[in-house]
Amino acid sequence: MQKQQEQQTRNCKKINVYGPCANEFVSSNTGSWRLERPVVNFENCIKCGICESFCPCNVITIHKELKESVEIDYDYCKGCGICVNECPKNCIKLVAEGSVE
Amino acid sequence: MAYKMLDGNSAAVEAMKLAKVQVISAYPITPQSSISEKLADLVADGTIKAEYIRVESEHSALSVATTACLVGVRAATATASNGLALMHEVVGMTSGNRVPIVMPVVNRGIAAPWTLWCEHGDAMSERDMGWLQFYCQNVQEVLDMTLLAYKICEDYRVQLPSMVCLDGFFLSHSMQKIDVPTQASMDQFIGPYIPKNAFLDTSDPMFICDLTSPDEYTEMRYQQKKAMDNVFEVFEEYAKAYEVITGRKIQIMESYKTEDADTVLVALGSMCGTAKHVVNKMRAEGRKVGVIKIVTFRPFPFEAIREALKPFKVIGVFDRSAGLGGQGGPLWSEITAAMNGLNADIRHFVGGLGGRDVTETTIEKIFNELLDIQSGKSLNHTQWIDTKENAMTLREVTVKC
Amino acid sequence: MTKIKFYGLGGQGVVTAAKIFSEAVSLYEGKYAITVPAYGHERRGAPVNTSIIVDEEPVLLNSFVYDPDIVMVMDQNVIHKGVDIAEGIHEESILILNTEKKEMLSIYEKLGFKEIYYVDGTQIAMEKIGRGIPNSSMLGAIAGVGIVSINSIEKAIKEWFKGKAGDKNAEAARTTNKKLQKN
Repeated sequence: MQKQQEQQTRNCKKINVYGPCANEFVSSNTGSWRLERPVVNFENCIKCGICESFCPCNVITIHKELKESVEIDYDYCKGCGICVNECPKNCIKLVAEGSVE
Repeated sequence: MAYKMLDGNSAAVEAMKLAKVQVISAYPITPQSSISEKLADLVADGTIKAEYIRVESEHSALSVATTACLVGVRAATATASNGLALMHEVVGMTSGNRVPIVMPVVNRGIAAPWTLWCEHGDAMSERDMGWLQFYCQNVQEVLDMTLLAYKICEDYRVQLPSMVCLDGFFLSHSMQKIDVPTQASMDQFIGPYIPKNAFLDTSDPMFICDLTSPDEYTEMRYQQKKAMDNVFEVFEEYAKAYEVITGRKIQIMESYKTEDADTVLVALGSMCGTAKHVVNKMRAEGRKVGVIKIVTFRPFPFEAIREALKPFKVIGVFDRSAGLGGQGGPLWSEITAAMNGLNADIRHFVGGLGGRDVTETTIEKIFNELLDIQSGKSLNHTQWIDTKENAMTLREVTVKC
Repeated sequence: MTKIKFYGLGGQGVVTAAKIFSEAVSLYEGKYAITVPAYGHERRGAPVNTSIIVDEEPVLLNSFVYDPDIVMVMDQNVIHKGVDIAEGIHEESILILNTEKKEMLSIYEKLGFKEIYYVDGTQIAMEKIGRGIPNSSMLGAIAGVGIVSINSIEKAIKEWFKGKAGDKNAEAARTTNKKLQKN
């Protein structure tokens, strides 16, 4: 796997392009918009997956086999709080950004 | 004087309110959105007694406003940028059917590259579509010009629609201290809408916009051309009446400190204010420069321009649109045509695109280049003013080979 | 002519503050103000700024401010968001800062302003309005440097917010005005 990636980098080159093209979208880090972040209390979580299906940004993944079953991609979570409202066990809450690690 | 602090979009709405528009159909687009929103608020609270028709696009917004006007009411809409581009097909319908709508256009560049910010490229794309075009310098002019536009457009000698162009953000979102005329004075000045051309009446049916053969098409275009020719006379007439009411003089074009100037800059829109500020600053230092502000771009006041520019050997023209593929931008082309046969060196500047600020420094740089050409110190000027040196290598991407 | 720049974060009412300030000087003090807000990709939390130009005569200049005489910072953290609030300042430029933290002041002290005025506008907003939105309270601070009177600011705030909210916001401005300190 590692080898394949190296192969790819070796076969790449940088070129100048005209117009609005980029490899990286500078505004894509939507997680930086967040004022509050959703935090899950895994004690009460029943791994139902409702938060995953309601998330408008598709940043929640459920791992049924793990105790910490709800994975939230904070790079893209905007902190809208829909998962908090939808959770049937009320085990997700919003906490102010910066107040937790 | 009843002073208010208003931004450009609120001033446009204030003018529509004073004109008592009866049907409104506007689709929100940055930086026009607050016009759509404020109109909706004023209809909801009963301040404007109008029907607000919600639509799914700008194409429909102008279709609704145009057809509403064709059944005999004063109708309103407003747009910007790609919204105006989407209206393009209907823009021709409005002017060709001689529907005198007054439409604020909040100038914003057209994508791509995507931009939200100020440029005249959107309105310039529609410059030959049979609409009048007025460009405003400040928020007071947005209000005054919109009010005056109703009179001009609805006059039987004109009967053409108009775009009142205000610079996105620099005017639309800039709060300025302005004087708003009373409703009573504007009731008297503008009055109720009276259709002067064809309009639809169910009790007396008529067909509007039928297929026109080559036998008549040219003549109908000629009628529009004649209407354009009448605009200046009508403008002067109503501007005088407006001045009596408000004390403010609205001009087709304005010469600012040009009498003894060594060189002048011709421009449109909000940058004219900055240019005037720079003129005052440079004159205080003994450098004699002036500004010519064009308010009416369509019809283009070529006779007045020729007269005003006659004394000058070196003239700068600032286009806030790229004029791609042309020898110069749209304003430069018009000025050059107006000056045909006169021995003047007309220099073309492009700048302020996609929201780039036209600063004091930009304008001063232009004046200095013009003065150097005038005095023989230099031959060249910077056509694409304020363009970065790395323009051709601006972006780099990684690709597989 | 006085050139002013307000800095803050999206959602703190920076643009609204500029509008209320320009109403105060234009409608209640007979001067002329224009605001030129710099809009970006609009969203909460992003650094924002607004330019304001005040003069005795109608203002012709219609562009952003690049050489501010007064800079007001509504959120102490803008400096950590890649914003150079000292850009274009000259030897007479003054700074009004929303903070009472000594460590914050020491960062801002290095920027080369002639004078720094400071007050915890967010705390006062929490106390008087019940929300940590510092725009009204910081308008009291700008009245403390002489460009506008606190009476005009209070009138403009009451006119803008109307009713009870107007009274609370005006009180926040008055309190900030009294508590403003010079560094």
